[in-house]
Amino acid sequence: MSAAQDVARMLTLVPWLLERPGASLAEAAAVFGVDEDTIRDDLGHLDFCGLPGLGGGALFEVTLVEDRVVLTMADELRRPVRPTAEEALRLVVSVDAVAEALGDELPALRSAVDRVRAALGIPERSADVLEPDGVAALPLLRRAVREGRRVELDYQGRGDERPATRHVDPWALHVVDGTWYLQGHDRSAQQRRVFRLDRVAAARLTDAAREVPPPADLPPPRYVPGPEDLAVTLELSPRGRWVEEAVTADEVVVHPDGSATLHLRTDAPTWVARLVLMAAGEAVVTAPEDLIATVVRLARAAV
Amino acid sequence: MAEKVERLVNLTIALLEAPGALSLAELRRRTGYYTDGTPASTRRRFERDKDELRHLGVPIETVTLPHSEEVGYRIPRRSYELPDVELTAEEVAALALAVRLTGAEGTPLALAKLAARAPDPAQLELGADTRVELPPGPVDAVARAVLGRQRLAFTYRRADGSTAQRTVDPYGVVQRRSAWYLVGRDHDRDALRAFRLDRLASEPRPVGEPDAFEPPPDLDLAAAVSGPAQPGVEVTLAVTEEARWAVELRGGRDTGRRHEDGRAVLTLEELHPVRDRAWILGLAGAVEVLAPEQLRAEVAAGFAAVLAAHDGAATGTDGDTGAPDGDTPAPDGDTPAPDGDTGAPDGDTPAPDGDGGGSS
Repeated sequence: MSAAQDVARMLTLVPWLLERPGASLAEAAAVFGVDEDTIRDDLGHLDFCGLPGLGGGALFEVTLVEDRVVLTMADELRRPVRPTAEEALRLVVSVDAVAEALGDELPALRSAVDRVRAALGIPERSADVLEPDGVAALPLLRRAVREGRRVELDYQGRGDERPATRHVDPWALHVVDGTWYLQGHDRSAQQRRVFRLDRVAAARLTDAAREVPPPADLPPPRYVPGPEDLAVTLELSPRGRWVEEAVTADEVVVHPDGSATLHLRTDAPTWVARLVLMAAGEAVVTAPEDLIATVVRLARAAV
Repeated sequence: MAEKVERLVNLTIALLEAPGALSLAELRRRTGYYTDGTPASTRRRFERDKDELRHLGVPIETVTLPHSEEVGYRIPRRSYELPDVELTAEEVAALALAVRLTGAEGTPLALAKLAARAPDPAQLELGADTRVELPPGPVDAVARAVLGRQRLAFTYRRADGSTAQRTVDPYGVVQRRSAWYLVGRDHDRDALRAFRLDRLASEPRPVGEPDAFEPPPDLDLAAAVSGPAQPGVEVTLAVTEEARWAVELRGGRDTGRRHEDGRAVLTLEELHPVRDRAWILGLAGAVEVLAPEQLRAEVAAGFAAVLAAHDGAATGTDGDTGAPDGDTPAPDGDTPAPDGDTGAPDGDTPAPDGDGGGSS
């Protein structure tokens, strides 16, 4: 951590402590998102801070008894410094995103956002986070996670031609890059699985209790291409370059005219074929042959 | 480093508490800092400290001292201090929870500032385990200009790789799916445009003074990044049973009517020309456009273009590739990622060997 970050925190730690005589190191650490040793170091510095002057000046008085802190003689910094524009905008968009994701579950958040915007001077309509996709099944799944009840999903995975029923012990809901995901234990696969909510055709709550509990640490979903996946090469015209963002590419070779060659691996070739259809000729499969055939078959059937 | 941390805090206090602006000489006398070295090197050290503090949001002002040519420094208390924010214990708890759910860097400190003099958070339990990933880092580059209403100039790289210089009144930032956008008035085109922040090819440079513009009263940030819709143009689709859910997810409503071949007829309230064409192409065969004729023709042309590109001999196309011509109606010439499939990590299996232990 840089000295500047330490200073930024200490300028706010002082008013926070002045308001809370006897606060614990742990409470301070939690509020500032650092560990207790960092707060201890801060207090060590603050002991040498204050208004300089003759005879040592008027320094802050830091008293640490056990893990309780009392700070006095620090009225020069009785109020926190204003957040920077960057901090203010980051905070507002983060809180907006959560408000958008949680809907009405946390009414105090809506009123808090308004007060924060007003206090920070964030103009109306200067930041917006769009509602994540796939919200239709959300209320039911949220209830299932909360009550620990098994769900039945009609789910069409990337590689599937039609939805199939999955029995899931639900663990947690995540918004990643503006899309909702459910993580849980898939009872037929006997494994952890991730379900994109915009691929859920229908969801039903059952009366059965969740049997497999969530693991202690459940990281957000990330697709990791596997060694068994199919290697695919796509040629993208300049207008088709958005396809790069729709996939996890192994390599992108950009040509002087703005076109690009994209190498990727996938466990769901049909999904890649449909992505190519969406690009309406601006993305072309050059390998493997099977995938070219799939694209042609799907397009022929549609005309 | 210990010395530096304390020096920066004490410099802040000395300038806050001084009755007026202080010269560097006076600061040296009062604090004992910036005395160790040549006048030039200590001046440089002071300038570095001043810049670091300004970067943290400490408003150090530079003035000319009365009755002298000397430069003076001061921190006006009213620009430094955050006025009290009236927050209830429930609101503090809700904000703390939101900050924790996103885990966005820098936000705990911003919240600590706001809540330093507010009540401690109430107890709060959120029923379902929910997390929101939203790295807000990209907004930093334009934050000051958006909040200060200051014009920006930057080099922008379009999706096709070409770059151009842009001058923009930055109205606001929007997150849509995996991308952050800056929405504003593009002076060169004299129109509202959306720019992906990850395509800025240069650091945006402020041009002119703050408070230089006022966004239009009917500004709709969401519409600006979603591409234009054509309200009033209803889309009618014949849909197979298998694909019905996918169309409903995109706002399709069942009319209760049946197409001549028995497929259900669904409608969309308004047409989004680029987006709708893309997802309908993606659902190849399961959805047929009945109206409007323009969309039906574009979808047909899209399939023809796919066939021509993959198998030149398969069909004769009349040279119309189905690409929207000229100025793409999408945000700033970018084809928006079609619905449903974007940069989001995909689908089903998080890890090929998913062991439930979260090792992906």
